[in-house]
Amino acid sequence: MIQQLCEWLASTWLGMQVSENYFPWVESIHVIGLAGVFGSIAIVDLRLLGLANKHLSITYLSNQVLPWTWRSFFLAALTGILMFIGNATTYYDNTPFRIKMVLLILVGINMAVFQFGTFRNVTAWDTGRPAPGARFAGAMSLLLWTGIIVTGRWIGFV
Amino acid sequence: MNAFTDWLTSTALSQAIQTTSWAIPGIQSIHIICLAILFISALMVAMRVLGRSWHEQSAGEVSSKFLPVVWTCLGLLLFTGALLIVAEPGRTLFNTVFYLKVTFIVLAVVLTLVVRGASQRGTIGGAHRAMAVVSMLLWACTIVAGRYIAYN
Repeated sequence: MIQQLCEWLASTWLGMQVSENYFPWVESIHVIGLAGVFGSIAIVDLRLLGLANKHLSITYLSNQVLPWTWRSFFLAALTGILMFIGNATTYYDNTPFRIKMVLLILVGINMAVFQFGTFRNVTAWDTGRPAPGARFAGAMSLLLWTGIIVTGRWIGFV
Repeated sequence: MNAFTDWLTSTALSQAIQTTSWAIPGIQSIHIICLAILFISALMVAMRVLGRSWHEQSAGEVSSKFLPVVWTCLGLLLFTGALLIVAEPGRTLFNTVFYLKVTFIVLAVVLTLVVRGASQRGTIGGAHRAMAVVSMLLWACTIVAGRYIAYN
């Protein structure tokens, strides 16, 4: 079923355009997007771990940085979906791609738990040492995003 | 040039990278992580120069915070980039896009240094704001050119 869906996606006009004409451009913009996500989220993660910008409040730092995380994620997701449509069957059979998708789900769960759980009492640790839950979320985020970059690059090598 | 790339390909380091299956994707992953951190650090400085964010810090303070990160990442990018060239010299050194990429990097660094000077003196003008925008476009072009090396 999914196999057929992938074959159909790759055979659509959009899929053909990506795979035959625009793949390098779409991939290049994907790299700009993922660079924006990783670079910006790393600033917040390092603050949550208490490793950088300790004198700045977490809410202030997040306000400077996180809008760029979302813009970049939008760009990376859009170009990622286009790349998938262009070569859907290849990606579907690709182990690093599958691992990368699992890691993306985990990074989403990590963020949701932090945002809707730990972050609600941010006022208690906004300017000081972050709560254990916040430090854990920062560490997980850095590890998972690193894994997403590594598996993403690995897709092209199998 | 051919003799040079042939020699480079035959070196022990080049052979070691070529024959280790995870070496090239591994080095490229580190390269991507460094360019990500450089790109956003440069963007934060540019945003402060443009007056869009970091209002609680001066442009000089934001430069002192993020530019050392930019230079550290640039060093790591040159190192990992050099390893990738040693591994596959023919892929890069005969490639016009690679030289375009080097040009973008040099121009981005020059503009960053000029804007840094103005940030530290507190004399940011319209020209510096324009340079901050252009430097970010140059970093983006650097990323695109880097990916395009594989396709040219």
